[in-house]
Parts: sequence; structure tokens; C-alpha cells
Amino acid sequence: MNRVLVIDDAATVRMYHRKILGDAGWQTDEAINGLEALEKLNNQPPETPFDLYVVDINMPKMDGYTFVRELRRHPSAMQAPVMMVSTEAQSQDTSVAFDAGANCYLVKPAKPQELVLTAALLLGDAAVALKAAEGVRA
Amino acid sequence: MNQTELLDQFILEARDCLEQIGQRLLEVEKSPTDAELLNDLFRLVHTLKGNCGLFEFKPLERVVHAGEDLLDRVRNGTLGYSNDMADALLDAMDFTAQMIDEIEQTGAISSAAEGRSQALATALRAHLAGPAPTAVATQSAPADAPVTATAAATTAATTTAPAATPHVTPAPAWMDRIPTTLLERFPDAVVWRYRPEPECFFKGEDPWLLSRQVPALKHLDVGTQGAWPPVEEADCYQCNLDLVGLSDAPIAYVSDHFRCVPEQVEVIALSALRPAPPVAAPAPVPVATTTPAAVATTVAPTLSVAPGGGQAAANLRKRALQMWDDQIALLSRSGIAPGTVAAVRLSLQGLLRATADDSAALHLTTLLALPANASAAAVGQWAAQHRPTGEAHGDASNATDHPDGLDVHADHPASDGSGLPPGTPPDAARRSSGDDGGHQKVLKVGQEKIDRLMDLIGEMVVAKNALPYLAQRAETHFQQRELAREIKAQYAVINRIAEDMQHAIMQVRMLPVGTVFQRFGRLVRDISRKLGKEVELVVEGEDTEADKNVIESLADPLIHIIRNSLDHGIELPEARRKAGKPAHGTIRVAARQESDRVVIEIDDDGAGVDPNRIRRKAIERGLIPEDKAATLTDTEAVQLIFLPGFSTADTISDLSGRGVGMDVVRTAVERINGHVELSSQFGKGTRLRLSLPLSMAVTNVMIIEAGGRRFGVPMDLIVETVRVHADDIHHFKQAQTTVLRGRIVPLRALHGLLALDDTPHLNEEGEHAVLVVRFGSENVGLLVDQFHGATDIILKPLEGVLAGLTGFAGTALMGDGSVLMVLNPKELV
Repeated sequence: MNRVLVIDDAATVRMYHRKILGDAGWQTDEAINGLEALEKLNNQPPETPFDLYVVDINMPKMDGYTFVRELRRHPSAMQAPVMMVSTEAQSQDTSVAFDAGANCYLVKPAKPQELVLTAALLLGDAAVALKAAEGVRA
Repeated sequence: MNQTELLDQFILEARDCLEQIGQRLLEVEKSPTDAELLNDLFRLVHTLKGNCGLFEFKPLERVVHAGEDLLDRVRNGTLGYSNDMADALLDAMDFTAQMIDEIEQTGAISSAAEGRSQALATALRAHLAGPAPTAVATQSAPADAPVTATAAATTAATTTAPAATPHVTPAPAWMDRIPTTLLERFPDAVVWRYRPEPECFFKGEDPWLLSRQVPALKHLDVGTQGAWPPVEEADCYQCNLDLVGLSDAPIAYVSDHFRCVPEQVEVIALSALRPAPPVAAPAPVPVATTTPAAVATTVAPTLSVAPGGGQAAANLRKRALQMWDDQIALLSRSGIAPGTVAAVRLSLQGLLRATADDSAALHLTTLLALPANASAAAVGQWAAQHRPTGEAHGDASNATDHPDGLDVHADHPASDGSGLPPGTPPDAARRSSGDDGGHQKVLKVGQEKIDRLMDLIGEMVVAKNALPYLAQRAETHFQQRELAREIKAQYAVINRIAEDMQHAIMQVRMLPVGTVFQRFGRLVRDISRKLGKEVELVVEGEDTEADKNVIESLADPLIHIIRNSLDHGIELPEARRKAGKPAHGTIRVAARQESDRVVIEIDDDGAGVDPNRIRRKAIERGLIPEDKAATLTDTEAVQLIFLPGFSTADTISDLSGRGVGMDVVRTAVERINGHVELSSQFGKGTRLRLSLPLSMAVTNVMIIEAGGRRFGVPMDLIVETVRVHADDIHHFKQAQTTVLRGRIVPLRALHGLLALDDTPHLNEEGEHAVLVVRFGSENVGLLVDQFHGATDIILKPLEGVLAGLTGFAGTALMGDGSVLMVLNPKELV
């Protein structure tokens, strides 16, 4: 089963994202900032890595950019796709997010189907992606 | 997990944020240049706004959003922090707190909030307008976007957009203002034109900033809507800008960016300006031709049978292509980490698998065949060459012969721009899975759960007390000495565990008094500003802990005391100067633990209480007779302010002096078994000392006996226990008194007070047992028959009809199963 790590300092957002991604059938875990996320992935047994990171930008201790940059340099976990989810207040940040190595950028709050579709596409989950795509406005 | 749970979480977190925001705002006022603090504050507001966005609480989101924008600029240093701004922000946060309360109660926001929300947002945005960009043309260009400041009328570029023949949507004339080279370089880019309305500055809009912050901005051209009037006639508060730009971000991002001014903005995807070709898209990169064989062999069953699969598949394909392009763009960036290349490869694989494109299987093999250490450029080239055509089975299976709608670009009309609608509540849970319980460092639990636990522990403490009696019975009744000993041993173990448990639960309920003190900063600030006084608040010992109930019932009395200090205590600056004091007054709130009590002292260096004035007012209001007032010492006179209905204020102010005064404070404090003392030096200041129990869960009582019955008396009221010889009791009419430590103490027989048909017993030495209890500043001796030990009990208030018996504080179940009545001596005497 695919494993998704949700990284956000807002508990409500964590709950929201985990519920949506959990409902899509993936296993979810959470971290409250980049630092905790790094700790978490370091403590992960190598046979169950995280397959996708859903990352907020503005977080205390370690922000989303720094986390992604660190992740991309990580010896064993660097290749996992990253989905940045943040509010438009920092829309100029799309570019920074890509520079850091994020694979896509979603504007928060993202519609559940939007979130699931994007995640499913990155994870290569055809069935979930198609189901979610039904609900996405064309 | 369900929607309610998410909402509860939202409310919980929102309150948390608001509390911290309030605190930070006050701190920022003290050190407005502290970048760390400002960042912290911004992040809190940002989090709050993000959370609001998950739900459709528009009035709430609007206000918080305005606050966020404001703080963002303060944080960037583009706007200075001011007191007025703080006022607006504090107002906004108060409103937010009200809304949160409303949401908690009703689950929604009433439409009545709309008006206030808009007013507050406007007030906040008014601060944003600060330095209006009146001289745009002279401002420096953002580093990442070349800006050409040209008047619209003098645009020189005459070339038409390269891909604009034949038109699907006619290319607007203003596109001429974007260099052709850029249009060629970014064929999938988005162009936009923003014509702010002249009055926009008054709405707190900042067209220049908004335009500069367009995501992935590649070009920004500043023109004018009309010719500039002569300098002397120009109204610098009228916006005359006409902004045109090009962005490489998806159209949805750009439209969303301008969502506050949609009617003033045109956003067009360049792709929408190109014709939809009949067979193949004029993709900017070579498109790998699909092999018919692949169509025949790789049929994904889910796609062909899914209801509405056609539309869904089209959506999916469109999205996948966007993301595919994102990956290509990602690879073209300079200095990317090897991890990024690997992540892109993985993402591309995911995209291929998820789209189940007819060519996907083939592409997948070639992608996997790329060397593991392939460079970013190599992967990028591959991705560009193998960009899916957009043909999927859902369509292909029934549309192989007329493969129209292949062109993904045609799927990007400008109207599609609304993109990602905000705030859609999540669907009801279909199935909950995948929660592997991420650990959290702090666990938030509803109070009722803790209370329930506390009750259970209470019951257990009582139940375990039955064991010693059982042991006794085993020994005396059943002659089982061995068993009795084992029961006792077992009791010792259970007793220890129960006590530890009780202690642990009580620890859970402990809160630092700082949680209440936090509000004072705001209170002092607001009131002192209103009164024109200069007051500094000094808080000490915020970490001192006490039971949550104690803390919560403290808030109101403390606020009352501080208001009094501000209103009556601290003088106006000039009066203070005249009295030889510093112009700004100081209020000190200090908390500390003294044995099993929390002591809170509130000092001010204000005018103090004038005993003569108190005497006068007390007589005026008929609270005490004139002759009695004269006999009171100054210390005693000052205590009169605790009398119900006492107020020294000659005029009733907004703040205090409505006749609800210090007696309310005293009542509130005494309700939680605390007491309050006041000492004051006229002209120098006032000190109030509150002494409170650490915990209300367990009451320490002394057990006394009268008329053959046992009663409990709360320990905190007891001054001392003494034996008084019958000869030392003076009888004066009905009253009895004795002299203890040089003071006359009135004596009352408990028997009489409780109407027991018995009189106080004397012991062999002819002495009475006297329990001296405290009533405010006075002591009274209660004659009882006998003293027993002190014990901890769980006090249960009387219920039903018995609740009317004010002479009793409540009951407690004793270990032997008997019920102990606990007295409330204050009401009794």
C-alpha cells in the first residue's frame, strides 16, 4: 500500500489531508514541520518508505522548501515525489517550490478530488485517479 | 473520522491560534522590529486563514485574510507597524473569536456577521494602502521580470502574436505589449491584463504589488488607462494604471491570484488562441506517434467500463499533461539536485501508469530503460519526446476513427481559469483506513473526559477505604487473622496506587496561571489608552500551576481587580507627576505557591484607598451607622469596600462603579474556597492578596464531633483548635466570648447552630473544645465536643431539596461507607 506523509503545522489541515488521502485508500502519517518529517523518514524502515510527501510551505523550525531540499539530498529517500500545498499568499512561491525540487504545487485549500487526483497521478494509481477525476471540474 | 471531528479540531486549533495571536500582537507592540516575532505572528494568522479556508466560513476567512496580507507586508518590512494597525488587528481577532464561538454553537456563521466582516476587512486593508504606489514608473522592477514602462498609446511593437492565425479566440490588441520573443519562448504561457479601477486604492488594493506577485511572472508591462493629466491637476489617489503581463504558471493559478478583482482582469491562455487542429496538436515538442498495436493490447478495464469515464478520463488526461509539463519545466531548472531528477522520473512513471495511456506501456519501458544516472537534461529530453498525446482508452475505445478532442491545449479556455475552488467541505467518510496513528507530542482531551476520570478516581479512593474495615471484620467477626493481614497488605498496595493515580490526574488538570494573566496585557492596554493613563503591567510567576477550575474562576475576579486599579488606583499622568511619582503607573501581578495554596498579589502604585472617604461613602450608602464608622481603624475601614453595594466612584464610568464591586470579587474567590485581603497605603498604592486552593478536587477537612455526630469543617477556614476552660468563658447576655492571644473571640456552640438537642460537653479537666474559624478578617470560636483527625475527602455538593441547606458545603463518602456532612461555617454563624 502506498504511504503518504502529510507535513503541515496546522492540525486541522493535517486532519483534512489525512482523511482525504486515507479515504483514497492510502496509508497516511503526519509531521508538524520539516524537521519532524526528516526525523520520521529517517526512522522509517527501508522496506516501507514514504511514497509521496504532501508538504506545506510556511512552518516553524523547518519550512517546506528546506525540507524538500533536504529530501532531495537524502541518501535513500530522495526520489519520492513531493506535492507542495500552500496558500496563495505566497503565490510567487510556485517557482521557489519547483526550484527546491517539488513535483507539483497545489493551492490550499485544495478540493478533495483535486488533491486525490494529483496524488494518484504521482503515485501511479490509475483506479483512484480515474475515480477522483470524475469529480474534478473540467 | 467525520466532518464534525474536523470542525471540532478546527475550533480547537483556531482558539489556540487566536490566543497566541493576541499575545504576539501585544509583544510586537513592544518590539515592533523583532523579525522572529513578526514571522511567528504571521504564521499563526496564516495557519488560521488556511484552516478557515477548509470550511466555507467566508466572513471569517475574509477578515483573517486581510489580517494576513497586512502582517505579510509588515513582516517584509514594506509597511511599518503602528498602534492603529494593532487596534484593527485586535478588533479583527475579537471578531474572529466571536465567530468561532458562533460556529461552535451553531455550526455556521449567521448572515448578520457579513457586514462586520466586510467593515473589519476594509479597516485592515486601509492600512495596507499605506504608501500608495503613485509613482509606479519610477519603481524598480522585480529582479525576475523585465519591466518595460511604456504608455499604452505609444506601444511600438507591431507584430502580431505568432500563433494567432487562425484565431480561435481573437488575440486582444493589448497582447502587442508583450514581446514576441517571449510569446514564442512560452507557447503555453498565460497572458493577462489588469486595469485597476480608479478608486482601487481606497479599497486597500495594491495593483502594483498584486501584479508583481503573479506566479511565475515572466514579463510585466506598465501602461496607463488614459493620458496623464498635467502634474498640477493629477489626483495621485486615482489609479490610472494598465498592467499587462505574461506568466508561465497554469492559468488556474493566475486567475486565482486575481480572484479579488476578477472584473478588472482578463486572463488568456496562449494555447486558447491557437486553433484546434483536426488530428495532431501543434505541440511545442515532438510528439511520439502512437502505435495502433498498443491501442489493441493495453486495454485498462476500469477505464472502459467506468460510468462517465469519458469525462473523467478527459479530466484526468488534462491534469496529467499539466503535471507532465510541470516535470519538464522542473528539469530545465538550473542546479537541480540528483534527488529531483529521480523524483521526476518516479513522477513521470506514476503519470504514465495512472493515465493508462495507450502509449504508456511503451513509454514506461523506455523510461525505465534510461540509465539510472541519467542527467536532468537527458530525462528532460526524454519527457519532452514522450509527452503523452492525450489519447486515452476511455475515448479511444469508442472514438478511434474520429480522434478529435485530442488537442489538450484546446482544453484551456480562459473561462476554465477558476481552477481550484476554495473551501469545499470534504465528502462524508467512505471508509476510514490508512490511519497508522502518527504520534503527537501533545494530546488534547476534552475536559469532561478528565472530569469523568477524576470522578472515577474519587469513587475508587472511597471504595478502597472499605478494605481496612473488611480486614477488621475478617479478624473480629470471622476470626480470620491471616486473611485480615493479607487484606491489609493488599490495601497498602492499592492505596499507594490510588494515591499516585489521583495525584497524576490532578496534575493533568493543572494549568499555569499564565493562561489567565495573558488576557491582562490586552485589558491594561485598552483601558489605559481609553482613560489616558500610562500604565505598565508587570507579571510574575506565570508558571505557577493550579487546578483548571480554580484558574478559570479566577479570571473574572482578577479582571475586576485590575479594572479597579486602572480606574480608581492609577492616577492620570499629571496628577502622578504632582505627587512626585513617575508619570506611568505600574500594576504588578505576581503568583506563587505557598504550601498547598496559590497566592496571587495584585499591587498598584496608585492613589491607594482613602479610609475617610470609604467611611463617608459607607455611611452615605447606609451600609454602616455613623457611630460605628467612627470607631473603625483605618485598616478596618478599608475592608468596607468588600461590602455588597459599595462603590466610591462619584460618577459611573464605563469601566467600574456600577455598584458591583469588590463584594463580587470576594464572593467569587470564596466560592472556590479562597480568600482575599486588601491592604492599602493612602497615596502610595494598594495591594490585594488572593489565596486560593491548588485544587478543588480534593478537600482537606477536619472531623469534629458534636452531639454524638461527626461533621467535617474545611481545613482552610480553620485558624486553630484550642481547649478553653469553662471558667475562661465570659457570658454577656446571650453571647459568650473568650480571650485568645489578647483578642476577644466570640464563641458559638455548634449544637445550637445545628439545633442539636444537646449542649457542648466538657472533658475531664472541665475544658471546652473550641474550633477557631476565620470569617474574613474576624475569628469565631465554635464549641464542639471533640476533635478528630484531618482527612482528604471528595466533596459532593448537596443536590435536590437539600441544596437549599446553605449551612452545609456538601457531603463526602467515608471509607466505612458512612456519609460525612461537611459544614459551611460562614452560612451557619
